Amino acid sequence: MNRRAELIGWVLAASLAWIVAYPILIVVRDATHASTITAFVRRPSEWQVLWASIWISLASVALAAAVGVPLAFLFTRVAFPGSRMLGALIALPAVLPPLVGVIAFLFLYGESGFVARGMQALLGLDHSPWHLQGAGAILLVHAYSMYVYFYLLTRAGLARIDGSMIEAAQALGASRWTTLRRVTLPLLRPALAGAALLTFMTALGSFSAPYVFGGGFRVMPTQIVASKLNGDIPRAMVETVALALVALVALGLLRRSEGEDVLVALGKGTAPPPRVLVGSRGLVTTAAWLLAVFLLLPHLTLLLISLVPYATWTTETLPPVLTLDNYRRLFAESDRLEPLVNSLWMAAVATAGALVIALLAGWLTVRRRVRPRRLIEHFVALPWALPGTVFALALATAFSVSRPLALRWVLVGTAAILPLAYFVRSLPLAGRAVLAGYRQLDPALEEAAAILGAGRWRVLWRVTVPLLRPSLAAGASLAFVTALGDFVTSIVLYTYNTRPISIEILSSLRLNELGIAAAFGVLLMVVSGAALLVGSGGHVRS
Amino acid sequence: MNAYLRTEELSKRFGATVALERFSIAIERGEILALLGPSGSGKTTTLRLLAGFETPDAGRIWLDGEDITGLPPARRRSGMVFQHYALFPHLDVGENVAFGLGGSGKEEGGSMAQRVRGALELVQLAGFERRKVQELSGGQQQRVALARALAPEPRVLLLDEPLSNLDPALRERTRRELRHVIKRVGITSVLVTHEQEEAFDLGDRVAVLRDGRLEQLGTADELYERPRTLFVATFVGRANVLRGGIARALGGKPGDVVVVRPERLRFAAQGLAGVVRERRYTGAAAFYSVEAHGDGAAAPVAQSTLRIEVQASPDAAAIGDTVHLQASGVLAFPDDRGTPAA
Repeated sequence: MNRRAELIGWVLAASLAWIVAYPILIVVRDATHASTITAFVRRPSEWQVLWASIWISLASVALAAAVGVPLAFLFTRVAFPGSRMLGALIALPAVLPPLVGVIAFLFLYGESGFVARGMQALLGLDHSPWHLQGAGAILLVHAYSMYVYFYLLTRAGLARIDGSMIEAAQALGASRWTTLRRVTLPLLRPALAGAALLTFMTALGSFSAPYVFGGGFRVMPTQIVASKLNGDIPRAMVETVALALVALVALGLLRRSEGEDVLVALGKGTAPPPRVLVGSRGLVTTAAWLLAVFLLLPHLTLLLISLVPYATWTTETLPPVLTLDNYRRLFAESDRLEPLVNSLWMAAVATAGALVIALLAGWLTVRRRVRPRRLIEHFVALPWALPGTVFALALATAFSVSRPLALRWVLVGTAAILPLAYFVRSLPLAGRAVLAGYRQLDPALEEAAAILGAGRWRVLWRVTVPLLRPSLAAGASLAFVTALGDFVTSIVLYTYNTRPISIEILSSLRLNELGIAAAFGVLLMVVSGAALLVGSGGHVRS
Repeated sequence: MNAYLRTEELSKRFGATVALERFSIAIERGEILALLGPSGSGKTTTLRLLAGFETPDAGRIWLDGEDITGLPPARRRSGMVFQHYALFPHLDVGENVAFGLGGSGKEEGGSMAQRVRGALELVQLAGFERRKVQELSGGQQQRVALARALAPEPRVLLLDEPLSNLDPALRERTRRELRHVIKRVGITSVLVTHEQEEAFDLGDRVAVLRDGRLEQLGTADELYERPRTLFVATFVGRANVLRGGIARALGGKPGDVVVVRPERLRFAAQGLAGVVRERRYTGAAAFYSVEAHGDGAAAPVAQSTLRIEVQASPDAAAIGDTVHLQASGVLAFPDDRGTPAA
């Protein structure tokens, strides 16, 4: 039985190597031609783009921290009417597909968005007061959507800090400020480093925001796709490798700064209860509500735009007609329905695959502790460490030729390539959740089932799967939402027949069918939200 | 040998660590055997080998004349009570107990429900079928774990530190109930514990393990009164370990290590001299910590600060008293440390 597990372990490791690592290696090999590398190094624009990717990501970390950390303190340490609900609500943007956030932003702050129109009317201008484009616009969108990482991880970190440590500092005569600086923040370091890592990696791989708002300003992910669409494949390869290298270096550096978790492990108590405000209660409550509305405004805008029928809103500040026409068209016109169906089935297949592999990986690495367990864990985690563009390019390269001896088949252009790409991108999310669940599952429970006469499948279905259900549901919903809202791999790999929602949103925008685009966005939002709600077992994470 | 459950030279290594070395033991039908030893002695490994969770590197396991060495746990028809009970948190009490019966536990009436009820009655939890396991107290969880293990009528019951999760006050009562239930069912049982009292109370016989080897197998009396090794003598029960002059002063031969139980020492008019440094009152008796000095001994005492524990009546001595000790039932072992006789 042990030998069989070892065998399965090696088979899984080899399969993952083929699907996760092999395409990347092919890109690296194809990119390492002296001429292409020299061309890359000598082209100043490449360095500009690479540098833009790096500084945009660093600035996104700083901005997201500036918004997220104070919010976390506010909602953890202060209680006011509605603070629990608001605290959960403002975590929403992180779990929604980036493209949805981006178009919502466009409708709100874009040059023909509500705010611009309002300002125009207010100031009596004959054109939009601003032009939402370039680095500033990208940063704004990043800060707006990525503060949630800092917000959620800081809240989790604060919840783990033993309240008695704060009290101990104060009993020793430390002021509030000193306590924060000398006790709370050092204890939060792992959480903050984790949030910084997450934000940096997300910003580095971010495609939707630069694609929609970048204009002439390019970052590496948009540059790669542009090179690819221009047919300059060798250039796209080198750019892909450069981006992957930046990602890996950043990951290595930030991992190191995350440090040991001992600090937090020491404190095992409970967090201090939130302070109930007395004097400034009304002020804080109002401010917090306003802030929450401000943060959620783009998504409300999306909802509103989705109710505006085609060509009914021209120069008015507010749309004059609101109907459900766009939604009706979405379901009535088979051309519109197709992307919806495509996205749903492809995301479902990818999620199911990711879950099965995650479960198998959990059993092999945690339970059987097979020899290639580190290998399996690395391969499962790898797609997270590399931007989506890198994987899109890698899969497009690896599976566009038929060389069965090199284990390469033509999948690009078939219905298989997008589910495969989604699967690869979902794997780390499902894997992390399921592996964590497996590690917390007492092996004695499975042993108890076995000694009570249950065979391997009965143990799996009656004990392991039911007990892992929270992890499986969390992993599945994250994987599903990621696949459903995917834009960056889709734009490289889609065909007309397999076009997903994100591509349809983009083409609707191009045709100026804003209402349809918004309706798709709302659908994505609703389905993602529902999936995550199911995934968290009915509780919104707070 | 016609023992019901028998291990034959079982060996198991984990990497470089030897967990069990040529371990052979025979257990009679209906007998309760306690495996006693410090952590790392191989007792848990033995239990896991018996359960089938581990496969031995060498050796065989026989159950009722059948070689079960290679049999997976599911086909051994053994029952097991886990240290943390391992009750399925997603199933209720009835469903937990029915798990080994192959049913879902939801059946109303019928033979399945009756068997569940019967198992729960055995541990005095009849009527608890629809309770959630998390709602039960530690003692109740332990009893559900026992009922679940016994419900499929296994051939052997394996218990892994079944009482270690209970608070001390509950432990003694539960111990008696546990033995009572096992004896009523009459099932052959193997119990792992690191507590001597538990092993003595529950086991018909006790096997003392050390470093993966069987040190001694016997009844509680035998282990206490006639330990075969110094390790057993000190691991089982309280013991003063004495060497050199003091050992000889209490009747040991030169070169011997002498083990004397506190209750085998008494204050006398003459004998090994010492001063009472501490007194610990326990009600029926008191324990005196006596600092022995060389006076009265044949040679100067090697260990200058040696304390000897003496059990005597509460009013036998006071702190600061100079006393003389005499011993009966002295256990002598060849000194494996090779301490030179002073």
